[in-house]
Amino acid sequence: MNDSVGETERQRLARWSLSEELVRRQLPRTGGWSHNSAQFSTEPTAWALLALRSSTWASIAKEQGLAALMSRRRSGGLWPAVEDWKGANFWTTAIAVNALMILDADPKTLASSVDALVHSRPLEASWLVRLKFRYSDRQVRFDPTKYGWPWVPDTVSWVVPTSIVLITLERARRRGLAGGGEFDNRLRRGTEMLLDRACVGSGWNAGNAFVYGVPLRPHIDATAIALAALRPHYEQPIVRNSLTWLLDCIQCPSAYSLSWLILAVSTYQELRSDVTPALVTARDRLAALVDDPRGIQDTSTIALAALALGVGPTDNPFEVNG
Amino acid sequence: MSTPVNRRIFGGALLAATGALAVQRMRSAGQVPDRRKPRSRVAILNETSYSGPLDRALAEGVELFGLDLSGKTVLLKPNLVESIPGAEVNTNPRLVGAAATAFLALGAKSVVVAEGPGHQRDTQLVLEETGLARELRERGIRFVDLNRDEIGEQRLATRFTGLDCLWLPQTVLAADFVVSMPKVKTHHWAGVTLSMKNLFGVVPGIAYGWPKNVLHWKGIDRSILDINAAVPAHFVIADGIVGMEGNGPLHGIPRNLGRIVLADDPVAADFTCARLMGLNPLRVSHLAQAAEFLGNGAPERIIQLGEQPPLSVEPFAVLPEFAYLHT
Repeated sequence: MNDSVGETERQRLARWSLSEELVRRQLPRTGGWSHNSAQFSTEPTAWALLALRSSTWASIAKEQGLAALMSRRRSGGLWPAVEDWKGANFWTTAIAVNALMILDADPKTLASSVDALVHSRPLEASWLVRLKFRYSDRQVRFDPTKYGWPWVPDTVSWVVPTSIVLITLERARRRGLAGGGEFDNRLRRGTEMLLDRACVGSGWNAGNAFVYGVPLRPHIDATAIALAALRPHYEQPIVRNSLTWLLDCIQCPSAYSLSWLILAVSTYQELRSDVTPALVTARDRLAALVDDPRGIQDTSTIALAALALGVGPTDNPFEVNG
Repeated sequence: MSTPVNRRIFGGALLAATGALAVQRMRSAGQVPDRRKPRSRVAILNETSYSGPLDRALAEGVELFGLDLSGKTVLLKPNLVESIPGAEVNTNPRLVGAAATAFLALGAKSVVVAEGPGHQRDTQLVLEETGLARELRERGIRFVDLNRDEIGEQRLATRFTGLDCLWLPQTVLAADFVVSMPKVKTHHWAGVTLSMKNLFGVVPGIAYGWPKNVLHWKGIDRSILDINAAVPAHFVIADGIVGMEGNGPLHGIPRNLGRIVLADDPVAADFTCARLMGLNPLRVSHLAQAAEFLGNGAPERIIQLGEQPPLSVEPFAVLPEFAYLHT
């Protein structure tokens, strides 16, 4: 892991203590993980499994965690956000499928989930909703014919879930789990949606570049995940500018955003010479920010930080170009 | 002659009035509970700066209400959206800290500050950039990210959104005493964002996304009513020292109002804040409807503690779509 950017002792120790904390937080009843309680949650479970896969505790975590994750999938192939929640969630479904592919789950078990992602449609796919955006709801500025994925069914597309679904489906394509005309069209529309929703000049936020004529600011985590999804489109000026913007954010005071930044920027190491030195600085800073993992409330942050400190060019869960 | 502005004024006023009438009928038919108390209490504190003696002012202000908080768990819900340099977007951290100290001094078993920002997924970043993280560290107060808290199903007492239930954070559901701490601002979808709109932030992102788009599609005003009927705030501390006018809640202009509004009824608090903003609360759709069943809006049912409201105010600027709030 992390073989292109030399891992410092501080980073190694930080990664070890993050992994140890993840093991401590594994839920005894379900074998999965929660954000911050005893309630099984899909997102932290998937991140924790990925973070622990090359650690001392890999087999223990995988043995229980994988089964916990698989058992929470609903009949339609989608995962909920948390154990008791009755609805489905595209963000957590994509994270779960991506993790399970990396963890070499049986491809046949994932086919229905990939299919559910490909065939799902946000509200903008309906002509009635497009009319609403064209004639009534005109204070937000985007093209509703370019759509991606929503967080939950019966809502419109947003940048973060769209980005993770694109990453997941691209991995599914590379593994021969999906393909064909409809699949390609769905990916194309999702990519167009991300490009359409970019903030002025650079970066992404939740998905509104303008409201009431005012340009809104980008967010680090949304920009990072969008960039990871758009890695094959580096020729686009917005992608290049956004990478530059993100590299300027390495002094951010939050481990969550910094972890996303590192994971996304790592996928561009071969393309830009300024990425590697920035990663060295960012990882040092992250190691300092996660000095006391027990003080970090959200388990996803712990897992993402462990991933960000350890990830190398060949095992990045957000790498879609490999 | 009919102009776009006149049509907007007429349309907005009609919407709020018909909404209130509909709620009256629903209340008469027993479809919504009447939660209004005979009288609500409001205190307006004059404070022109965040660098003043806020701890003392707030302790004295809260004292006016004679609250019995001994052994109770208190949850403070500030309005944290994101940090925008130079903009007055968020409830001031010093006010939040002062409130925590005041409630602990009244004997509360614990005080926790909790919020689930609607667009910015990195709650820790918002805490750090707004200075709230530091304020809470210095005072030893815990923060809970409501976007990622354990969630439980809460049946809805009202059906304005058509939803049967909401999934809400256990930290909120378990709190004995919920305090809504809004920033006094105009809002480009809801007209104003005060203590009732502030409770949008208790809806968890892990279940509803960032933003909480399910509720946007159900209607912001309707969602505000259902949320407030499900999780009524017991107390309000509204940050009107510096508010926001114009294109709120993010890109408006700072407005020195010089007031903190305290109340034991969120509807009474929001009516008072709207009046201090020079806006007609009965024109704000969710306020007009809330005053029919959730709390008191009529001046005769609001007891003023401490300072009396000013006789005249310079109205807050609003977007043209909300010009009717000035009538």
